[in-house]
Amino acid sequence: MFNWLEGQQYLDTGWVGVFATLMVVASILFNIRRAEKGGKNLFIRRIAGLNAIDDAIGRATEMGRPVLMVPGIGALDAISVQAVNIFAQVTKSAAQFSTPVRLCCASAAVYAYAQEVIRDVYTEQGMTDRFLPETVQFVSDQQFAFAAGVSGMIHREKVAATFLLGAFYAESLIFAETSNAVGAIQVAGSTQSTQTPFFIAACDYVLIGDEFYAASAYLTRDPVLVGSLVGQDWAKIFVACTIMLGTLGLSAELTQMTSTHRSGNKMVEVSESSEGKRTEERKKGADTVVSRIFKPYIPEEMTKDRFTREKKPVPEGAEAGGE
Amino acid sequence: MNLFPSMMAQVVEESFFKKVPGPGLYGLLALGLILGIVLCLALSRVPSNMRRWVIVGFTFLAGLPYVAAYLWPTPVAADFQTEIPRNGVEKVGFFLNQAMDPVGTITNIIQGFLLGVGFYSLVRIHYTKVKRRQENWGFSIVLLTCFVLMAVIGLWDWQMRTFVDTTGALNVRDNWTAVNYIQDFLFEGIYQQMDSAMFSMIAFFILSAAYRAFRIRSVEATVMMASALILMLNLMGALTFAQGNAIESLAANSNNMFLMNFKINTFADWLRSTMQIPAIRAIDFGVGLGALAMGLRLWLGLEKGGVT
Amino acid sequence: MQKVDRRVLYGILVVCVCVGLFFPSTIRTDPDPSSKSFYAAVKSLPQGSTIIVQTDWTNSTRGESLGHFENLMRLLMDGEHKFIFYSAADPAAPQVARTVIARIVAERKEQGLKEYKIGEDYVDLGFFPNAEATNTSMGANLKAAWAGRKSKTPDGKEIDIFKTPVLAKVNKIEDCQMMVVITASQSIDIAVQRLAQKIDITALVTGVVGPTVLPFYQSQQIKGVAVGLKGVYDIEYLMEYGINDAEIEGRKYVTWDGPKVDKVEQGTRFSRGRQYYGTLHVALALLILAVVMGNVAMFAARRRKGEQV
Repeated sequence: MFNWLEGQQYLDTGWVGVFATLMVVASILFNIRRAEKGGKNLFIRRIAGLNAIDDAIGRATEMGRPVLMVPGIGALDAISVQAVNIFAQVTKSAAQFSTPVRLCCASAAVYAYAQEVIRDVYTEQGMTDRFLPETVQFVSDQQFAFAAGVSGMIHREKVAATFLLGAFYAESLIFAETSNAVGAIQVAGSTQSTQTPFFIAACDYVLIGDEFYAASAYLTRDPVLVGSLVGQDWAKIFVACTIMLGTLGLSAELTQMTSTHRSGNKMVEVSESSEGKRTEERKKGADTVVSRIFKPYIPEEMTKDRFTREKKPVPEGAEAGGE
Repeated sequence: MNLFPSMMAQVVEESFFKKVPGPGLYGLLALGLILGIVLCLALSRVPSNMRRWVIVGFTFLAGLPYVAAYLWPTPVAADFQTEIPRNGVEKVGFFLNQAMDPVGTITNIIQGFLLGVGFYSLVRIHYTKVKRRQENWGFSIVLLTCFVLMAVIGLWDWQMRTFVDTTGALNVRDNWTAVNYIQDFLFEGIYQQMDSAMFSMIAFFILSAAYRAFRIRSVEATVMMASALILMLNLMGALTFAQGNAIESLAANSNNMFLMNFKINTFADWLRSTMQIPAIRAIDFGVGLGALAMGLRLWLGLEKGGVT
Repeated sequence: MQKVDRRVLYGILVVCVCVGLFFPSTIRTDPDPSSKSFYAAVKSLPQGSTIIVQTDWTNSTRGESLGHFENLMRLLMDGEHKFIFYSAADPAAPQVARTVIARIVAERKEQGLKEYKIGEDYVDLGFFPNAEATNTSMGANLKAAWAGRKSKTPDGKEIDIFKTPVLAKVNKIEDCQMMVVITASQSIDIAVQRLAQKIDITALVTGVVGPTVLPFYQSQQIKGVAVGLKGVYDIEYLMEYGINDAEIEGRKYVTWDGPKVDKVEQGTRFSRGRQYYGTLHVALALLILAVVMGNVAMFAARRRKGEQV
């Protein structure tokens, strides 16, 4: 009978990765469901950067200057979508005070998405006429051309607040310092751990790591988002426990002795001493069960003849004229 | 038609996603075009209360191949191009793995079209600025001129290199025409240099950020400043080498090996491997889980933020 | 003093950095352990190995990445390794790499060393959009991932890359001995996620990306990494003196617990790293000075306000 788990990703112990992912997915979905049903007001700790949004918009309103938002320079992915979702909340507050906003995109796909979302926010507020072509604009998909364009805008329009949320790279410091030079309040957050230090050094408020993903749940208190956040926390506890168990298991295993060692996908015998006596050595990292869980050991004999398949017939002329 | 054999050579074997050029392929192309037009027309007539479901449906379909390929057993040790699947489960596995490439291509094509949307936004804003003589309209003229110039010269140069020059003569500077020189001047001489200049400006920003940000205001700020100083000193090889030698001879003279811990190198290594790396790992776990949750919500249409 | 005009700071920086560039000097140093691992990993490859080079940098980060790429080319050419290069991050990257390779080939020809030829000693694959898809399919099926790509030959013709001497014996990624990623972005993360179980990966990265790569080095998912300008100088230093190899006054220049790793005997060793390393010292000293000045200014301002310091 055919074994349903006879896939490349399930061979040996590789299924652990898939299983762990499914566990995380299940915990998130379960908690979303729980939050939707329960409707309880789940607690989220205070995030200073997000509390500052209203202050920043208030300041922009007083000064009569625009609010600048940049969703990073990444493609349209989970990060950019999350950034635009946060910006939708910012725009909502700004629209209530009639404060102009500028959302600059480096990716055309993000631009198309952001335009829809921000236009909807203005429509919802009954201010369709305030949504102008320059409210959401595409600047350039080239990193430093984008950086030059946006910093030019910061200088010319003397923005009162900048929100830098998304995937940033080397341009992060250019934006942060330019904003500082015009006296703008900066709220920043990047999922790139390379850029977070720059933001911490140069910005007023910074969202670190997954606070960025918690932002929309924090701002909207939507049960789906809050539930998902609780699910993530469960998953984090699960990851932390796995690390603890792995460390203990690995430490215990490494003290044992063995006469074979794993080298790539082969097992090799420990070399014999000059008197022909086989010596045992301590287990190495690669020999341990913990290592094998995440680095499957698929010996050649396991796959050699069991998976032979017929070859397809080569169509005529396929080999001709290849050069 | 000498193009035919070389195209045939690339299509080693027919699959659902790859067809040998011929009437069958052209028929499918025509069918695809008609279906595409019909789909576009249908989508433009979708009532606004149905919009959400259309978006959710398309998002789900777009993510499905990746999820399916991740979960469905991938045939072991298989060559998807030349081998025949052994059973039904493998058949699906082959199909899903062959689908990865075309699905990626579809994404790239859609992104290509979206670039047109971005281009339209840029031109509209700056054209309006020039037309209405708004503030700083001079900059907009510079932008539009550069835009057109770069596109025309770039395409002209590409066309010459791809279609006119079949022997690769244009790879040598001596054979260049005026167009190639202008393209080189615009791209290498101006664009690339301005790109580097923008990047190197970060040095100035780092300096002013260092001046204003690393202040001893609190315990945390002091710890941050101290670790930053140690890591900066560690990058100065001459200094660490001299300090390391001094510590080594001091340790040897006093026979106190504990002193070796005070080498800047050792200290910086400790900071990196014991403080920095675990912190980065922890942040990465959090970010990864956040992205997974976000991806899941988007895929299953649970995310309300972006969809009306 | 609390608010020094930025332009004054910027002026001082320009002067200090420019002066440093005119006086390149060989500075004694102790290379980072990760740089030593990188050098040892590349030097221990058997002569004539096949190496995959993923070059994801462009001119904007040439201050660091150019030095890295030149060092790598010199090391590979010294070991007479064959290599394949492509970019999965930036369409401009392959052209930047081509220019550098041409220069290094000319330099080695002038020095009377082996002249590397396209299609014979190395293959240019150009640009692949979507790093994730590219690296995944390289791991699953290298021939399919690179199908249809052509290479120029020394006599100006074009042939399928798998018919060149470089890739003639390569059917899957495991047939290559090493993959080197030169990057200024997180494309190294993707390469590690998708390919680290199939091939030995090493990296040459910019100072900013360095911290995110070190976890992979610590867990041995990558075999070695040289970080930033210090990494460029480290590799040049190691090329000149080896590890546990060259001696000065009875002491080895560079030591470690592992076995001896030979220095590079022929061709250029010190280059960009040596040229810029002194300047890095000056710039860092200035940065430290700025931090100190900032604090002094803050305390002075507090004292003026009559606050307790």
